[in-house]
Amino acid sequence: MKKSPISRRNFLGTAAAAGAAGIIVPSLITSCKPNAKVILPVMLDKAPDGPLLKAGLIGCGGRGTGAALNFIHAGPNLTISALGDVFTDRIASCRERLAQDGVQIADEKCFTGFDAYQKVIESGVDIVLLATPPVFRPEHVEAAVSAGKHVFMEKPVAVDPVGVRQILASGEKAKGMELSIVTGTQRHHQHDYVATWGKIQEGMIGDIVSANCYWNQGQLWYREPNPSWTEMEYMIRDWVNWSWLSGDHIIEQHVHNIDVINWFTGKRPVSAVSFGSRQRRPTGDQYDNFSTDFVYEGGIHVHSMCRQINGCENNVSEWIQGTKGTSNCQNTVWDKKGEQLWKYDGYKLDAEGKMTEDLAISPYDQEHIDFVTSIRTGKPLNEAEFVAFSTLSGMMGRVSAYTGKLVTWDEMMNSEMKLGPKVYVMGPVDVPKTVPVPGE
Amino acid sequence: MWFVIGLIAGAFILFGLGKAVDATSTNDFCASCHVHPQATSSWKQGVHYATQSGYHVGCAECHLPPKGQGYLVEKIKTGGRDVWSNWTKDSTEFDWEAASTLERASKHVYNSTCVKCHENLFPAKLTREGSDAHLYYKQMTEKGEELQCISCHLNAGHYIKDYVHGSNKGFGLAQKQTDTIYTSPAVVTSFDNFIEQIPGSGISFHMIAIPGGTFTMGSPESEPLRNPDEIQREVSVDSFFIAEVEVTWDEYMEFYRETASEGRSTDTEGSRLNRKNDVDAITGATPPYGKPDQNWGMGQRPAISMSYHAAETYCRWLSQVTGRHYRLPVEAEWEYACRAGTETPYFFEGDPAKFEKRGLFGGKADTAVINTYIIYRGNSPSKTQEPMAVKANPWGLKNMSGNVAEFCSDIYEGTTEHVIRGGSYRDGAGGVRSAVRDHTRTDAWLKTDPQMPKSIWWYSDCFYVGFRVVMDTELKIKN
Repeated sequence: MKKSPISRRNFLGTAAAAGAAGIIVPSLITSCKPNAKVILPVMLDKAPDGPLLKAGLIGCGGRGTGAALNFIHAGPNLTISALGDVFTDRIASCRERLAQDGVQIADEKCFTGFDAYQKVIESGVDIVLLATPPVFRPEHVEAAVSAGKHVFMEKPVAVDPVGVRQILASGEKAKGMELSIVTGTQRHHQHDYVATWGKIQEGMIGDIVSANCYWNQGQLWYREPNPSWTEMEYMIRDWVNWSWLSGDHIIEQHVHNIDVINWFTGKRPVSAVSFGSRQRRPTGDQYDNFSTDFVYEGGIHVHSMCRQINGCENNVSEWIQGTKGTSNCQNTVWDKKGEQLWKYDGYKLDAEGKMTEDLAISPYDQEHIDFVTSIRTGKPLNEAEFVAFSTLSGMMGRVSAYTGKLVTWDEMMNSEMKLGPKVYVMGPVDVPKTVPVPGE
Repeated sequence: MWFVIGLIAGAFILFGLGKAVDATSTNDFCASCHVHPQATSSWKQGVHYATQSGYHVGCAECHLPPKGQGYLVEKIKTGGRDVWSNWTKDSTEFDWEAASTLERASKHVYNSTCVKCHENLFPAKLTREGSDAHLYYKQMTEKGEELQCISCHLNAGHYIKDYVHGSNKGFGLAQKQTDTIYTSPAVVTSFDNFIEQIPGSGISFHMIAIPGGTFTMGSPESEPLRNPDEIQREVSVDSFFIAEVEVTWDEYMEFYRETASEGRSTDTEGSRLNRKNDVDAITGATPPYGKPDQNWGMGQRPAISMSYHAAETYCRWLSQVTGRHYRLPVEAEWEYACRAGTETPYFFEGDPAKFEKRGLFGGKADTAVINTYIIYRGNSPSKTQEPMAVKANPWGLKNMSGNVAEFCSDIYEGTTEHVIRGGSYRDGAGGVRSAVRDHTRTDAWLKTDPQMPKSIWWYSDCFYVGFRVVMDTELKIKN
């Protein structure tokens, strides 16, 4: 794919999306003009005060509850006023946890079932926080934006191309309505990553020639079936192991790292060839390892790896090579001989005054500070397109591994693939449950 | 002193000009010369007249680019042209229907004008289908592809009866009432013309027996309006049957109704979706997007808009229901049948250069003869016609030249596209000669299909190609 105005626009869109209030992103920051001074987005330590903002949480599991806490602590006058989940026990545990932080939620503002999201949206909230398994995300975002709500949504944002396009269209609608959409790709709100991104944009490593990204870790959690559960309940409770619910771990988890590569290169993959298999995953139908060769715009090869198997070499990081040097994307730039050119120096200091590698504000808090700031200052952030593209990138890797075939961006963008059953009801689930086998 | 007077005078002139520009852009001013009551009434029935806010969008608001984006230049150009037409032409002789086709409308509707008012392509209440279509528009425009708003919203300015832009799920579901329902195909025992019957329907069509032979394919270099790809050579063809006319909508819709499938499939899910292929069942076209017949009417008009793949599938289906071997013609068979023994530019007498006068001083073309044999730009500038409108060639075939171009199974040299032959209602006399060749243009013909993925059954942007079936004969032919 030729380097078209769109990639540059996306890139600038990201720059804008990366920051919060009053960001100035000069138009000269493009990959054609290295060495220009890059002005980084301003990220406040606390969101400014304003009238009470009420958020509804849809998806009350661990991450949802965490996001709710990150949200209420992002600034003054923020609360959670409604909860929605398919399971009552999830609502109960989330409610209990929020109560510890002084947030009481009335019984009539707690909704269960597959339509709980609709009831939360209609309950008088200004904002929704979306943290269900990603298969539900496109429908939830569409409903929230159509109802004029600001959206914080966890990554990934879809499991199939139909969902990706729904996210893209909702993102465009949100632009017209000046709504903010911030996504749980929190590295965009992580001071050290943002500073390193600035160095790369200034041309410290020259033109980008290749990149690598990894999310290799041990086995993830899983649930065994329970005789009192229907198949649907079981699958949702075990969702990170089912492709139709999570998109498989190359999207569900590894999207973070692919997203960083898209962000730092300002490009997106044109094609992907991927290997993957299932060696030790106890439940579900997903793979537990992928290795993908992406070709990005301009012929740049990016290698991506992800694995969820115990007892193997682990690594969660990105690596980017340029004509003049390399970077770990997180905090350091080296020249070609391995000499350190720059290191991020904004971390917390320890008792002896030595620099740690801890940030004063965690990116999970920072993303909500930036989210609330954007709403209160009337400068909407809209990260929908960026995260949708990152999700689609991961999807190219998944589909290539499942089929053994080369998969292009255009094919995926135009695909009618839609995962999951046609309707969501508690009971048997009409989806294929066999593990995909590539080739013939 | 003179300077001040000059300044004031200049200001008056400019002010006056500004007034004049506005005054000559009112609806009344437009209507004072554009005497086309049908355009005025269709405008008043359209969505841009009866807007929700009560504002009537005027002629110049769509038919001129926005001010500052070439407004004055375009106004002077169109104004000049309109004044000239008003003096020299009779507006009742204009083909207003042709002027409303997408092809012509694109020349006097400006996309920049549409998006000047419709800034937000994703309003909150946009449907999912609309969102998908606008997303496609956005991605194509960002890639630098030109897409027009009116490609999908042709009825935005002027009301068009039965216009559909969207998945046309109800298309062709109503079956035509007929007295006769054939229970079996025709019985063919000799190499003679016969009438094929489609079992289970009231549809029949004539097949003409063409004895094999040798002929000169292509055209001599001396032929007027010749193209360089019409290289002459001797070619022999075996005997075959060929349909008297291009496949009609009546015939095509029988296939569509019997085989159409609503769902669309994808092969990107890997082997877990691999299902047993039922080799016997032919899966046919999915519903079209919009109106494949262009509202020109169906019946005996040639079927159009179908893809090459769809035409081939039609032949497979026809073979299955009749138990014979139907297929698309190869190019040599097509030209052999078209020429019907002639070696002249047309299968009748006449000079292309006289039928089609080119250039400003070409004079008036003499079209009396060609008009009786061929549907082309000279007698049907905007649409297909029924076969009865023309006389047959010496072997009894109609519309080989003109009406719609026809698919052949050959690949056009140097491309991956299929040959199409015969020219169409859009071509001048030079473009409907027996030797004229052309090829499919798959990408361009799917340009405005906003579905994902694009249809493999219907071209969204090609209305001038159809096809004709050929049948192999296993009968012993005595030469």
